[in-house]
Amino acid sequence: MDLIINLTINGLATGMLIFLLAAGLTLIFGLMDVLNFAHGGLFAWGAYSGLWIYSQTGSFLAGIIGAILTGFILGIITERWIIKPVYGNHVQQILITLGLMLVLSEMLKVIWGPNQIMASPPDYLKGSWELGSIIIIKYRAFIILVGLFIFAAVQFVLKRTKIGLVVRAGVMNKEMVQSLGINIQKVFMFVFMMGAGMAALGGVLLGPYSGVIHAGMGMEFAILAFIVVVIGGMGNFKGSVLAAILVGLSGSFMAYYVPDLSLAVNMLLMAIVLIIRPQGLFGAKG
Amino acid sequence: MTAVILIVAAFLVLLPFVYESRNLFILLTQIFVFSIFAMSYDLLLGFTGIVSFGHAMFFGIGAYSIGIFMKRFEPTLGYFLLAVLMTIALTAIVSFVVGLLTLRLKSHFYAMLTLSLSGLFLVLAEKWRSMTYGNDGFTFRVPEQFIDRTHFYWLCLFLMVAVFLLLKRFTNSPLGRVMQAIRENEQRTESLGYHVLHYKITASVVSGVLAGIAGVLYAVSLRFVNTSVFTMDITLDALLMTIIGGVGTLVGAIIGAGIIEFAHDWLTALAKEHAIFERWIIFFGIIYILVVMFFPKGIVGTLSSLSWKKKKQHAVKKEEKMAG
Repeated sequence: MDLIINLTINGLATGMLIFLLAAGLTLIFGLMDVLNFAHGGLFAWGAYSGLWIYSQTGSFLAGIIGAILTGFILGIITERWIIKPVYGNHVQQILITLGLMLVLSEMLKVIWGPNQIMASPPDYLKGSWELGSIIIIKYRAFIILVGLFIFAAVQFVLKRTKIGLVVRAGVMNKEMVQSLGINIQKVFMFVFMMGAGMAALGGVLLGPYSGVIHAGMGMEFAILAFIVVVIGGMGNFKGSVLAAILVGLSGSFMAYYVPDLSLAVNMLLMAIVLIIRPQGLFGAKG
Repeated sequence: MTAVILIVAAFLVLLPFVYESRNLFILLTQIFVFSIFAMSYDLLLGFTGIVSFGHAMFFGIGAYSIGIFMKRFEPTLGYFLLAVLMTIALTAIVSFVVGLLTLRLKSHFYAMLTLSLSGLFLVLAEKWRSMTYGNDGFTFRVPEQFIDRTHFYWLCLFLMVAVFLLLKRFTNSPLGRVMQAIRENEQRTESLGYHVLHYKITASVVSGVLAGIAGVLYAVSLRFVNTSVFTMDITLDALLMTIIGGVGTLVGAIIGAGIIEFAHDWLTALAKEHAIFERWIIFFGIIYILVVMFFPKGIVGTLSSLSWKKKKQHAVKKEEKMAG
C-alpha cells in the first residue's frame, strides 16, 4: 500500500513539473499558433539560473524568484526578437524556435560548464513526514503544492480577470479580438512571458528533486511536455494539467515496474490519441 | 550551372589519383554521406514543406542495421545487402506509420512526433544492451570490398550523384510537382482534387529510406556505431546543412553539407586554441537563426534569385533599347 502511495506522490510531483512546462506551451500554441520548441531551453535556463542564485545567496526562495524573472526576461526577448519577425509562417516558426533551443542550451554549457551540477533542497524542505507506515518526502509534497497553486492562479487569471477574458477570446478568434480594438500583440507578449516564467519555475523546482541538472534536461522534459500537449489537446489548458498528471503517474509506475518501457508507454499513449482523437483526450477546443 | 557541376564532379573523381591525404578523403567521404542525408531531408522540408525533427532516427536505423548484421553474421557482401534491405524495410515502415499518424494534422504534429520517436529510439539503443552494446556502441568489420578507403570514397561519391539525379528527376516528375504544390498551398492542391495525404506520406517514406541508406554508409565509413547516431545532433546537422545551403534546391543540401563538415573540422582544430570553439555549435545556431530570419532561401536560393533579378533587369534594358 505505502509503495503505491509513494509512487503516486512521485508521479504527481513529476506530473506537476511537466504541467508547468506544458501549460505555457499549450497556452502559447492556443493563442498564437506557435509551437515553441525552445520551451525546454527556457526550462533549463530556469534551473541553472535559479540554482546559481540559490547557491550564491543561500536562499531557495530567492532562487525561485530569480528563475521566474529569468524566464520572464528570456520570454520577452524570445517573443520580441525571435518569434515576432516570423509570425504567420509555420515552417519558419518551427525552424527558428528549434534554433533558439540549440543556442539556449549551448549557452548554458558556455556559462556554467558542460558538466552536471548537483542540487539539494534547502534544510526546511529536507527530510520527510511519517504518517504511520507512509513516508511522504517533504520536497515532493512541496512541488505538488506549488503546481496546484500555479494551476489555481492561472485558472483564476483566465476566468476572473480582464486579461484572462482577452486571452480566452483570442484563443477562439484572434482577428475578432483585434478588430474590437485590443492590442493583441501585447497580449501575445504577456502570455509568452507567463509561459516562459512557468517553464523556468518548473526547471528550478526540478533541480533539488532529481539531485542534478544538466543542459540536456530541457530537451528530455520538452519531449514529455509535447506528449502532454498532444494528449491534453493543443491549446487546452485544463486538458494539459490532467494529461500531465496522467503522464507523470504512468511514468512513475512504469519506472518502478518495467523501467525500460516508461517512455515507450507514454509514446504509445500519444500515438493512440493521435489516431482516435487528434484534438486531444479532454473535451473539444477551448 | 551544369558545366560547373560536371567540372566539380570530374575533379572529385580524379582527386585520389593526384593527391594523397587520408584525412581529406575521410572528410570528403563524410561530406558525401551527409549530402545524401541532407538531400533526403530537403525532399521533406524544401519540396513538400514538412518539418521533421527526428530525421536522425532513420539515419540511426540504417547505422545500427548494418552494424548489427556485420557484427552478428559474417562481414560479406551478401549480409551487407541483407542489411541494406533491412534498413529499407524498417525505415519505410517507420516513416509510413509516422506519416499516416500525423500528416493529416497540422505541421507541428509531424515535427513533434518525429522528435519524440527519435528520443524513443535513442532510449532503445541505450537499453537494449544485448543487441546494441548500450551507450559505448561497438566496432565491426566491413566487407572486404569496402576496406579500401579510396574505393569507398568513389562509392560514396557515386551514390551521392545517383541520389542527386534520382531526386532531381523525382521532384520534376508529376508526383514531385504535386509535392511542391502542397508546399506552396495545401488547401488549393486539395481542392484541385489531389489526395494530399498520399503525396505527403510518399515524400516521408522516400526521404526516410534515403536517410537510412546514408546511415548505412556512415556506419561503414566509421566501422563503428554508437548511440550518437540517434541524437538530436544528427537531426540538427541535416537541418543546418539544408537551411544554410538553401532549401528546395538539392544542390544547396550538398553545399551545406560541405560547409558544415569543413567548418566542423576546422573549429574542432581551433578548440585547442580556445575553449569557446568546443561549443562550435553555438555559432551555427546563431547563423542558423539569422538565415531562417533574413535569408529563408539559404545560400543557393539567395544567389540564384540575385542572378535571376540581374537577368531580368538585363532583359528589360534590352527591350527598352529595342523599343527606343
